[in-house]
Amino acid sequence: MKILIVEDEPSLREIMTRTLQREQYVVEQAADYASASEKLSAYDYDCILLDIMLPGGSGLQLLRELKARRNHAGVIIISARDSLDDKVEGLELGADDYLPKPFHLAELSARIRSVMRRHQQGGEEYLTAGNVRLWPDSRRVEVAGRPVELLRKEYDILHYFMCRPNHTIDKAALAEGVWGDHIDQVDNFDFVYAQMKNLRRKLADAGADIELRAVYGFGYKLVQP
Amino acid sequence: MRLVYRMLFHLWWVLSLLLAAWALLFYMTLSDEIADETDDMLEDRAEAVVKRVLAGGEISATRPEGGHDYYLTEVTEEYARTYAHERYSDEELYIPERDDEEPARVLRQLFRDRTGRWFELTVMTPTIEKGDLQEAILWWCVWLYLLLLVSILLVAALLLHRMMRPLYALLRWLDAYRVGGDNAALAIPTPVVEFRRLNDAVERFAERAEASFERQKQFIGNASHEMQTPLAVCRNRLEMLVDDARTLTPEQLSEIAAVQQTLGRLVRLNRTLLLLSKIDNGQFPEVAEVDMTSLVRRTAEEMYDIYAYRGMRLTVRDEAPLTVRMNPSLAESLVANLLKNAFVHGDADGTVEVLITRRRLEVTNDGAAGPLDGTRIFDRFYRATEKAGSSGLGLAIVESVCRLYGLHINYAYVDGRHCFAVDFPAES
Repeated sequence: MKILIVEDEPSLREIMTRTLQREQYVVEQAADYASASEKLSAYDYDCILLDIMLPGGSGLQLLRELKARRNHAGVIIISARDSLDDKVEGLELGADDYLPKPFHLAELSARIRSVMRRHQQGGEEYLTAGNVRLWPDSRRVEVAGRPVELLRKEYDILHYFMCRPNHTIDKAALAEGVWGDHIDQVDNFDFVYAQMKNLRRKLADAGADIELRAVYGFGYKLVQP
Repeated sequence: MRLVYRMLFHLWWVLSLLLAAWALLFYMTLSDEIADETDDMLEDRAEAVVKRVLAGGEISATRPEGGHDYYLTEVTEEYARTYAHERYSDEELYIPERDDEEPARVLRQLFRDRTGRWFELTVMTPTIEKGDLQEAILWWCVWLYLLLLVSILLVAALLLHRMMRPLYALLRWLDAYRVGGDNAALAIPTPVVEFRRLNDAVERFAERAEASFERQKQFIGNASHEMQTPLAVCRNRLEMLVDDARTLTPEQLSEIAAVQQTLGRLVRLNRTLLLLSKIDNGQFPEVAEVDMTSLVRRTAEEMYDIYAYRGMRLTVRDEAPLTVRMNPSLAESLVANLLKNAFVHGDADGTVEVLITRRRLEVTNDGAAGPLDGTRIFDRFYRATEKAGSSGLGLAIVESVCRLYGLHINYAYVDGRHCFAVDFPAES
């Protein structure tokens, strides 16, 4: 799996590179329009992370060139300009996803995985972690081949973690990811604990071999066998 | 007091004084003139009588002639020397026919005939009663005054209304004016130089306000954008630290979690400021029919889960379906921020009540601490009480969305409860 990161901010580029390398991707970098354009015409990538505002040109222009060459790489636009116009234009030009800055690294890898899954011919429509399978389209969960009934929020939490395996997720990020922006003034995360407790009990009862491990004082992490 | 009334009021008192003074002067001049005329007449009369007497004509002591009475008395030389030869006086005369006294002008003239005898001729004529004259003048002055006043005021009122029309048009325009809003062009044609200058000045100031508002908006937007990348770097470096390190102690982890939460607040604050500047910039053009009733129910229930730890009760009553044409994500922001405000700032263990009627959404919560400052609660970063995690921007978003769609938001404090109500205008 080869990924090209087109991002002009060195610090952010380095962070993204290190994170993705740890997830076994082959990562290349481009810091401006010219070098990105050069790399894109010389090599093939599976996924491209594209900043819009680049020295020397616009990421959207790169996207246009890419699509004109019938390049089938997955493209995720990463932009500090959280603007609807950019998002709409980017998606219309053929980008697969749009991730506004600042994002969580776990979110980045979840989006990459999701884009890859969609791009693979005959790709699996489900997520797997250990003996747990989850079908995002039908909101179905199976443990060791047997269906498990989850309540809405329990399912959302499991889905969230299965998209971000092996990332330590802090409880605020989890709450925001599952409950949305409503939690922005919460200083008590009891509602997360309650749902987590039920989910972990249901997974254990069904015989799942994955673990939603509590990281004391911080949050949780999905650990695969 | 309106300008017109003020001007009319001043006209009224100036006119009153002027007319009173004028009436007084008029009366004095008039009575002077009358007295003069009377005296001239008396003198002519006296001269005629004296001539006749000197010619040796006979005259009776008193004889009405031409309405004038006169009589002749012989006087001593001493008397003649003592008194002036021509004396005028105002006297009350007894009129036997009427058995009454009448005011009269009297001329006493002393003369000597050929034989050297002194005579005093008294000529008199009844004069107008001064009281009557004064009264008549007063009455006419009052009538004149009223007539003048009414006509002047009428004309002035009419003229003022007509001439001040550009001023009132300008005032109406200013009342409707909103900085950064969709304002009509200031087109008030007027030939009056002062009004033209006023219009020009107002236009200049509006343009200046508009420009600085624009700059401010851009600044907020740019500043928020510029902060995104450093925020991303901070957040992601901490995430890497947590993901990489196996040697972090729980204490260190909870420190990192605390920093992450603070960063999260900063990120959300930033995002909210961006949202506000986007609403102000009208960057939410697409509209759809939004079913407020189900949106409110859904959001309220989610909030209820999240804020369960505050021990509040939630009741949602919908008396009528409420659908609104607006941007769906702004509708969500509006509803979420209203409800969040109630859950975060309402008294713990109190009740949050949501009432939906045909054109109104009402959210109330307990607030034992007393009413809030209604003029400031919608200001950005205004917090009546310091609440952990409160951004101070929730109600500012509500207000921004309402302003964008011309919705009316009001705040009231009734029976120890804060009530926020949004009125949706009837569909046209």
